[in-house]
Amino acid sequence: MLWLYLHFPHLLLDHIRRSREQQGALAVVEGSGQKVIQACPEAQAQGVQAGMRLKTAISLAPELGMVRADHQQEARILEDQARWLYRFAAHIVLVPPDGLLAEVGSLQRLYGGLSAVWQTVEQGLNERQLNAWVAIGHTPLAARLIARTGRGECTADKGHILRILGQMSLLAAGFDDKTRTRLQRIGLKTFGEVLALPPNELARRLSPETLAHAQKIQGNRADPQTPWQPPHYFRQQADFVQEIEQSQSLLFPLQRILSEFEEDLCWRQQDTDSLLLVLKHRHQEPTRLRIRTSGPEHRADAFLNLIRLRLEQHPLRAPVISLVLLVKRFLGREATTSQDLLGETQDLNEAWHTLISRLQARLGDNALRQLTPQADHRPERAWSASEVLRGHNNRLPDYTQLPRRPLWLLKGPQPLTETPPVWFSGPERISGGWWDGQRVHRDYYIAQLASGQLAWVFRDVRDGWFVHGWFG
Amino acid sequence: MSEILNTLMQDARVWQGHQHIRTVQSAEPTGYQVLDNQLGGIGWPKGALSECLLDTPGIGELHLLLPLMQRLSHSGKTVFWINPPHMPYAPALAREGVNLDQVILIDTEDEGDFLWTLENCLRSPVTGLVMAWPGKLVAREVRRLQLAAEAGSNVCVLFRERRYAEQNSPAALRLELAPGDQQDLTVNVLKRRGSWPGQCCSLAMNQRADLAFRESPRVVQGPWSGRAG
Repeated sequence: MLWLYLHFPHLLLDHIRRSREQQGALAVVEGSGQKVIQACPEAQAQGVQAGMRLKTAISLAPELGMVRADHQQEARILEDQARWLYRFAAHIVLVPPDGLLAEVGSLQRLYGGLSAVWQTVEQGLNERQLNAWVAIGHTPLAARLIARTGRGECTADKGHILRILGQMSLLAAGFDDKTRTRLQRIGLKTFGEVLALPPNELARRLSPETLAHAQKIQGNRADPQTPWQPPHYFRQQADFVQEIEQSQSLLFPLQRILSEFEEDLCWRQQDTDSLLLVLKHRHQEPTRLRIRTSGPEHRADAFLNLIRLRLEQHPLRAPVISLVLLVKRFLGREATTSQDLLGETQDLNEAWHTLISRLQARLGDNALRQLTPQADHRPERAWSASEVLRGHNNRLPDYTQLPRRPLWLLKGPQPLTETPPVWFSGPERISGGWWDGQRVHRDYYIAQLASGQLAWVFRDVRDGWFVHGWFG
Repeated sequence: MSEILNTLMQDARVWQGHQHIRTVQSAEPTGYQVLDNQLGGIGWPKGALSECLLDTPGIGELHLLLPLMQRLSHSGKTVFWINPPHMPYAPALAREGVNLDQVILIDTEDEGDFLWTLENCLRSPVTGLVMAWPGKLVAREVRRLQLAAEAGSNVCVLFRERRYAEQNSPAALRLELAPGDQQDLTVNVLKRRGSWPGQCCSLAMNQRADLAFRESPRVVQGPWSGRAG
């Protein structure tokens, strides 16, 4: 097995830089806001360095943009990268806070050699404007250690990898402080010297954990890795250093996110018809914009146009500090068939399902109903509404024996407020429901009201007059 | 005359007051010969909006559309009822021979959803007939619906209040419905494409309650004591 490790030395910085239109000096500040943790090349050119006090940094670069480090955000950004890397490799492991591990031994044949894999990944990193130190190792830990020193080489030669590891300092080899001090006291300076010791002695004189660590790096001990599975949704976030007040300025980061989304859809061979765009504000509830397309869509341009229209209609309520694009609904992509072999029926069936699912998706499942007559004498219970299903029974029951009823039934009987001038038929006595407690005992008449409406009225057993339907 | 003008003339999009042009727009017969004659022998226009303006339900407005509903539901087209004011009574529809598998009832919550739903129904090839009861509609929204209707080729009937009769509307056919003296339905054509409006006819609607027409008053003297209880 061969492992490829990507170490992102300043992931948060890269993430923010690529959703900015104009480049300026930028630094990531630790949580308490005292120290600079990461500085971008522009900032470094002005003398800002990692580990510097913030006040010093600001006096060096007055225009310095500052971002506070946030572990949650970093984890999310790392997951975004994993999602991207998943296109190239199936077995991916997240190594928080700043690393990704991918098993590449099995990919050599697919890509045509290890160097092709390496190049594909590097190219992808360039396209995504990400800085990463790449390394290959025969064990996960070896790959990780080499990547973190930035000495990664595209080689599958175990001997060579071990040689690089051997030259590594104890700090770089990932031993903790206590072990390192003890090793130094013994007189060891490099990892190679540690490896040269007999394992039994190492475990006895230092600790079994130290031996385990060394063996895991070497590959003499199993180091199982749980593969990461990509989530079934698409989520991308852009964070801004300066608040955005003009909705036009949102389009630039959106363009990049959407083209990544298009690529993602292309890899999955899927479409979507609804996007959720969340704009976060500093002091207000986030604005949620749901963007729907008229049909399955995957082109970034189309989405961008819809979003642009939407943003023009709704001016921003407050300055935006970050935007999130979230897509949870995916539709399988289908080839457009102009004419089906069996004629139109297939096509219409599909169109029916498309229409109904679209309507249900927006209005909710309960908004669409189908009606069926029920065998009951009481008008309220002589029908039922159910969820929409595509009917397949061609043999319809014979309903012509049903009694004459109005086409409109009121949602509940309404009191009759006037004396109808014209009476037609009746009474028709409907009495039932003693078996389930919903007792109905009424005499129905058809009458015309003064307004010309033909009404289905009844007289209740308790001597009230009600309208129950209209002969529409 | 240039070719563009010719097409405009033949399309009947330009209204020429002095002549009736037999339009070639596709349409569905209403099922009432009298009304078809008044509508230039064609009926409900397809791919365009129709409006029925009436004050109150229960004057035979559904029976006006019943022949179309029967025909479309049996030919596999879907009939949508969007925001009806009351519940369409399933046993009565079934008795009239409407295939209820093809009838779909939609309730929308707000104006935006209503327009969106109607547009989607209109654009779909599965739709045969859309009956909608909008609340208030601005002329701009009616135009938007008219454009959506043109994208499909189905019949769309909007039921609106009669007070909108004076308002301008881009709908292709506008009918004013009023109850007649003898349980019939008076249809007044306010607007139709390609010809003069102003036709008026009366459709017998006795069959909706199995009433053999009788001179009013009064078949049954109801057990009525002079005032509503």
